[in-house]
Amino acid sequence: MASVIGMSTPPVVSLRGITKAFGQVRANSDISLDIRPGRIKALLGENGAGKSTLMSILAGHYHPDSGEILVDGQACLFRSTRDALRAGIGMVYQHFMLVEDMSVTENVFLGQEPGFFLSPQAMGHQVRGLAKTYGLDIDPDARVADLSMGEKQRVEILKLLHRKSRILIFDEPTAVLTPQEGEQLFVALRSMAAQGKAIVYISHKLGEVMALADEIAILRRGQIVDEVPAQAVHSQADLASRMVGREVLLDVSREPGELRQNVLRMQGVWAGSLQDISVSLRQGEILAVVGVAGNGQKDLVETICGLQAPARGEISLLGKPWKIFFDNAPWQGGLSYIPEDRMGLAVCRGMDLVDNFLLTTRQGYSTPVWLQRSKATAVTQELVDQFKVSPPDVHCLARQLSGGNLQKLVLAREFHRRPRLIVAEQPTQGLDVSAIEEVWATLLDARQEAGILLVTGDLAEALALADRIAVMFGGRIVDTFSAQDRQRVDNIGLMMAGMHPDAGQ
Amino acid sequence: MRELCAVKRQEPLGWGSCLIFLAALTLAFSFSGMLLAMGGKPALGGLWLLVHSAFGSGFALEDCLVKAVPIFLCATGVGLTFRLQIWNIGAEGQFALGAVGATWMALTFPAWPWYALLPAMLACASLAGALWGAIPALLRLKLGANEIIVTLMLNYVGILVLEYLVYGVWKDPGSFGFPMTSEFVPAAVVGRIGDTRLNWGLALCLVAGGCMSVFLRFTRLGYELRACGENVRAARSARMPYAGLVVTVMVVSGALSGWAGFLESSAILGRLQPSIMSGYGYTAIVVAWLANLRPLVIAVASFLLAGLRVGMETLQLDLQVPASFGSIMEGFVLLAILSGGFFSRYRLQWRTRG
Repeated sequence: MASVIGMSTPPVVSLRGITKAFGQVRANSDISLDIRPGRIKALLGENGAGKSTLMSILAGHYHPDSGEILVDGQACLFRSTRDALRAGIGMVYQHFMLVEDMSVTENVFLGQEPGFFLSPQAMGHQVRGLAKTYGLDIDPDARVADLSMGEKQRVEILKLLHRKSRILIFDEPTAVLTPQEGEQLFVALRSMAAQGKAIVYISHKLGEVMALADEIAILRRGQIVDEVPAQAVHSQADLASRMVGREVLLDVSREPGELRQNVLRMQGVWAGSLQDISVSLRQGEILAVVGVAGNGQKDLVETICGLQAPARGEISLLGKPWKIFFDNAPWQGGLSYIPEDRMGLAVCRGMDLVDNFLLTTRQGYSTPVWLQRSKATAVTQELVDQFKVSPPDVHCLARQLSGGNLQKLVLAREFHRRPRLIVAEQPTQGLDVSAIEEVWATLLDARQEAGILLVTGDLAEALALADRIAVMFGGRIVDTFSAQDRQRVDNIGLMMAGMHPDAGQ
Repeated sequence: MRELCAVKRQEPLGWGSCLIFLAALTLAFSFSGMLLAMGGKPALGGLWLLVHSAFGSGFALEDCLVKAVPIFLCATGVGLTFRLQIWNIGAEGQFALGAVGATWMALTFPAWPWYALLPAMLACASLAGALWGAIPALLRLKLGANEIIVTLMLNYVGILVLEYLVYGVWKDPGSFGFPMTSEFVPAAVVGRIGDTRLNWGLALCLVAGGCMSVFLRFTRLGYELRACGENVRAARSARMPYAGLVVTVMVVSGALSGWAGFLESSAILGRLQPSIMSGYGYTAIVVAWLANLRPLVIAVASFLLAGLRVGMETLQLDLQVPASFGSIMEGFVLLAILSGGFFSRYRLQWRTRG
């Protein structure tokens, strides 16, 4: 990690004021970042914080709406990944782009063949040399299809090194690796940095970033909120709280709700990555599930929402066992799911608002055969007015709505079902501040009727809304406690890193 | 430096899409004309002859309508599956099975009166076609087999079944060895409307088109079908019966193609013979894709492509243009209109770069 070249070296690449919006959503706003040779720069942030967009811009996949990229101090415009590669910027994606039926050497040389006639021997020799220089252990003659994920990743790296890339971007490289392979990768990354390559390492895993990086840039909601040298970070907990943010953005007035019947009870549940989860939730309270993304939240939500069957343990929803509840789930007075991926799971973008309203309420607006569209249209219009969805035209298509308005429509629809159990997954991700405020107020209102499971990566959101907080790590719930419990709230960062403050005392 | 770039349209294109459609047709016709010229035929004259002989007289228009019937029925079914993003390429085979089913009824119960025999033939044709459609649906759901491949392959199987029957057990002893069944009894022939050459199959088209419109717009299952076609993941998480829908659309699509096979054998040929397979099922794919399951558009597109077939017959006779020219033109039209789709989703604009 100790590198001879320090902060004083001129950056090989500088991003200046990069802004990129998709429709109404600002994925990156005004980001500036210096990448220096010989240093490993970690880009840390939650899912949807804008890491991948930023790096896709650097790798030539997207054009920024504004801002510029300087390579060696010269402004550059990347029309395609080819341009970026030529400038020495390469990216190792999570999904490898290799030809499975070809050998390692052939893959490395693909698109870079020295001439019409090839000498397999010389090519193999070159690849072997390259692999040795950077400590990437691989057999150049092996067929890619026979390789492990870790070895395939090494081939991807060799491809970039062979193209003389000076900046290598890694997008969550350890997601597909075993712990041992991860260790090997780290050794290789350090060796590359020591030989003057600039490394950008995208991750949301705190431990890795702490172990590897020279500098850490933290992204939240499309902006760089913090940029620190690794030495300045004392602990994973410190890093976690920098990442999720502690400052309360908005002040919402809330009083404890009246607790009523139990709407969700999980007892020793195992499913997917979940291990021995026990949770209970009552009408009138909000339980926030916090944690770094990828620690089992997705499996938890899918299991509760009936998309994934539990392997072991008992779940009861509204007093009914899991299977019986989902075999005949009522459209009203039951479970509402507000997914993180609203475009993919909550709406059909090519259909109008009435059709989107009907998506989860159709049982209430049809006989067994006929759809009662005029009734549904009237109700949709009422909801659109009540929730101030803009444009207030029920016949416009879902894709014409901004992210915030789409989320309002989803919330309006789901609350119209008078749910007694609500699972809300990152309900304010990608929304602007005023939209966040409205969503928060709506959720607090809904608490009178329902028990709400709020899955969020934003600690400020959890603290603003929740009555109780559960911290997840590695598929387990580390601890569940009252949001008023100051001492434990202060320790959330530690728990998110998998450590329990009470343990060992 | 200025360069062109494509920007996604936020608003759906209104009347402009008509303009794009016309431009695409013009392009397709220009290419076809060039092809004619390359073959040493008069380009403009040939195209004019094609259009004139297809739509220029009452007689020709009648012919177009007659040919549009099977195309419309197949395309309505195929379009239904396309709506669900199930790519049914098998209308041709389902059509063949429908013809076989209807013929079996006609040959087995020749003594029945027409009011019993015709509905029975229709039912049997639907059943056979539906079965041929259900196979790929079940294979897809149970084994994950790609429906494009299965439906395509089943076309060959279906056609071979038909040929096996007309070359074998069903061959008319009095046909001098030609592969054909004996002529259907009059009770097994769908009658003509008045003294035109149109048959009552046209009425079946109205029924099919009408039912399809009502089904998609006013029924809950139709709504669920549209939702599944738009976004399967959202529809599944809203607990829609996706698997059931896949089977339903394939069965309905097969049955409709079966109707077309019934009408061709009964009303047009009056018997079963291999020449019944004239590629209506493939033309239907073009129609369904172009029309995106709007029944009225399917009707218009079926009529136009039927016109292309009628016009081609004259072109073949008068200019000695090979019959495959018609298929090539069909392809040009499809490609041009598909490319036109790009311009209705994106607009081009100049961008200046530093």
